Amino acid sequence: MSEGIKVKRNIGISAHIDSGKTTLTERILFYTKRIHAMHEVRGKDGVGATMDSMELERERGITISSAATHCEWAGHQINVIDTPGHVDFTIEVERALRVMDGAVLILCAVAGVQSQSITVDRQMNRYKVPRIAFINKCDRSGADPLKVAGQLRSKLNHNPVLMQIPIGSENTMKGVVDLVSMKALYFEGSSGETLTLKDIPGELVEKAAARREELIDAASMFSDELMEAALEDHVTEQVLIDAVRKGTISRELTPVFMGSAYKNIGVQCVLDGVVRYLPSPAEVENVAFDLAADETEIVLEPDPEKPLVALAFKLEVTPYGQLTYLRIYQGRIKKGDDMFISRSGKKIKVGRLVRMHADEMEEIEQAEAGGIVALFGVDCHSGDTFTDGSVNYSMSSMFVPEPVISLSVTPVDTKSQNNMAKALNRFTKEDPTFKTYVDNESGDTIISGMGELHLDVYLERMKREFKATVVTGMPQVAYREAITGKASFDYTHKKQTGGSGQFGRVAGFIEPLDEGVYEFINEVKGGAIPTEFIPAVDKGFRSCLDKGGLVGYPITGVKITVNDGKAHSVDSSEMAFSQAAVGAFRSVYMKAAPVLLEPIMRVAVESPTEFQGNVMGSITQRRGMITSTMEDGLFTTVEAEVPLAEMFGYATHLRSLTQGKAEFTMEFSRYAKVPESLAEELKTRLREKAKGEKK
Amino acid sequence: MKTILLSRSPLRILERASGESLGPGGMGVLIARAGVGKTACLINIALHKLMENFKVVHVSVGEGPEKIHAYYRVLLNELVNACKMKEDDDVQQLLENNRIILSYVNKSFELPRLRAQLDNLKEALNFSPDVLFVDGMDFESTAPAVFKDFETLALELKAEIWFSALSHRHMAEVNERGIPYPCDKVDHMFSVILHLQPEEGGLYLKLLKDGENDSGSGRKVRLDPSTFMIADG
Repeated sequence: MSEGIKVKRNIGISAHIDSGKTTLTERILFYTKRIHAMHEVRGKDGVGATMDSMELERERGITISSAATHCEWAGHQINVIDTPGHVDFTIEVERALRVMDGAVLILCAVAGVQSQSITVDRQMNRYKVPRIAFINKCDRSGADPLKVAGQLRSKLNHNPVLMQIPIGSENTMKGVVDLVSMKALYFEGSSGETLTLKDIPGELVEKAAARREELIDAASMFSDELMEAALEDHVTEQVLIDAVRKGTISRELTPVFMGSAYKNIGVQCVLDGVVRYLPSPAEVENVAFDLAADETEIVLEPDPEKPLVALAFKLEVTPYGQLTYLRIYQGRIKKGDDMFISRSGKKIKVGRLVRMHADEMEEIEQAEAGGIVALFGVDCHSGDTFTDGSVNYSMSSMFVPEPVISLSVTPVDTKSQNNMAKALNRFTKEDPTFKTYVDNESGDTIISGMGELHLDVYLERMKREFKATVVTGMPQVAYREAITGKASFDYTHKKQTGGSGQFGRVAGFIEPLDEGVYEFINEVKGGAIPTEFIPAVDKGFRSCLDKGGLVGYPITGVKITVNDGKAHSVDSSEMAFSQAAVGAFRSVYMKAAPVLLEPIMRVAVESPTEFQGNVMGSITQRRGMITSTMEDGLFTTVEAEVPLAEMFGYATHLRSLTQGKAEFTMEFSRYAKVPESLAEELKTRLREKAKGEKK
Repeated sequence: MKTILLSRSPLRILERASGESLGPGGMGVLIARAGVGKTACLINIALHKLMENFKVVHVSVGEGPEKIHAYYRVLLNELVNACKMKEDDDVQQLLENNRIILSYVNKSFELPRLRAQLDNLKEALNFSPDVLFVDGMDFESTAPAVFKDFETLALELKAEIWFSALSHRHMAEVNERGIPYPCDKVDHMFSVILHLQPEEGGLYLKLLKDGENDSGSGRKVRLDPSTFMIADG
């Protein structure tokens, strides 16, 4: 393993909106000399902070899309992945969390741990991301960093340990006392760039000593060496740092830093914290699926000499073409190398390899395991895995669920139409669960995805990023039809309209298929249907699956067995047998007791335990079935299966039920029969709607 | 499948002896060492109850619901294979509709919390369990008064409660009634005490206590280690 990997850090900076995340990032880039001037988020100078590379972010002062930037501090290479703070943009959040090895959790010293901090923290827990905390805005009126540190324990179930205490309070805050070195730190110069170490002010000596004792007590749980040193009253800085590092990486300890990014206080200490306490890529286990061995899990080794495995975690359109952000988990990428995309097997030549600094870039020759780089001109999808071709690994499972919700989008003018086409092309590459097609009947462009919020995010991006103004239709659930019984058919297609006629007879039965959409079985004996026409029969049946006879939704789970038929030496043709199959299917479908199926979603709602009753009630009201609950500290996760049709508007309802303190995730689980009591009403409504669309 | 499952259920050890199950308000405990199969055996008993159309709440202390769901799926699959039957959607549906898993991780388990959750289930879902399975609770650190509270809960719910208790190889002593640690001090709280242990020749379920009736005590049956059904008929 390369020594270089030990000095790499891939970190996220994550927090509640408005807690100063972008300002902190900006300061970090300034102190690490990646930028030479600092701008504010809502910049008076009209430039805006460097990390917010999308226009929408600059305008709203929030960060939607994660950009990665590289910087160096104390001999370490740090990739900062700026993560979205808004809970709705989950795809972006999940991708960013996937590639980071550690994170800085920013909290506001005035507002404390807010509901979104809770949400973001929960997401990090799910991805087992070790973190350090930075209590920002300590210069503001009403700031109480010690109270906020306490909330880390009471609200987030962390084991916080103060690494510093403030010197002064609110607008008189001057610096911090570092409890490791037991020195007072002041941030001088016009931008706080000069760090001055002084003795601890007299009035804080006792308080600092007491807090250091607490720090040593907490950290000694992770180090026998520290425990012994503490007993002998001989604690060195390195022993203390090593112990805190161990506790942090095991996520049993959260070192707490404090300051004010805006006033340039304490930012360099956060950088020291990142280097000292957060893990290097070598200390984090990452797995891939071996596609050549039935998706067996493989633990990747962050070794540059091993075969390359890298994940494309973000695509960005730049004036110079598509930019693909890659996290390298194993092996190395060199300019001029060949790489392969696991999904498609496509070969890619590495052209320009760059290290990104938000909107600027630095050309590099090669990058190794643990690194984050960007490539130009690579035609791939977000989430694609790249290898050197010697292995066939995928960082994510190849399974892509079918979209369950769709809506029509109509551009208002020609310019919007062109822009919409560009946007849709982009989104389908970024997100495999986002699909688009043109409805043959209505001529509408339909977008489909995994939920209401999912589509909302793309509609907003279409408007903001691509300047496409569209009118949207009502969201539609992707219902399916399926048969529940077995029925026989015997159908003859005969047509004589002058010239050669058409003749074909097919006989057999249809029955439900347990797994899969369609299965065709040929049991024709003695050439009753000539072999050359069998594929046409299959094709004919298959063409019927797009539109069921019950309401008109696609049919799933049908097995068709053909066991007899008849052909005519002159009039039989592929066309005739295909038509015979269509006729047979239409004649038999309603006899096989078709039913309407609806998508059932697996819903998990995380909320503080006090809202558990409300959450359960809200799920029951929506025909949901609760399967389990999990209590973890102050939180409860309720897991349930709920029909998608009932989930519209749930986010808003849940927020009002739980004071915005709950979050929910939703993913497709399966299709299930619509209950009899609702099916008739639904069928009538859907049929009427279909008629209306035809008119 | 239901017939086979019921006829070879480990609970037959009770029916043969006393002809009845725990009944409303009753508490039972399954003792075993780590890794012997407490959870799986408890789930087999839960499947038995579900087949009889009882409503079941499975309380897991320390394990998330995913793992417990997986246990149910695997065990049901083993049973389906053992019965040489096809997977039955109706059975699966019966399980899903009548079972709720309540999981407590990171030392979150407290009886008042369980009570509050059961109240929520009743209020929001009109779901009131007939049987509770409490798996993974630390008997060593649980005060006897807590078991008394569980008994009160069982009576209020008119439900029976089954616990699992972890015993240790190095603590082999038993009390005068033959009940091993960690149930030796609280055995009076339980109407049924079962001991699951591997012996030469297989995995055995032994009946240590059967209500006030001593006649069944000491009875043991061999269990199939993959399905936890009675192996010798």
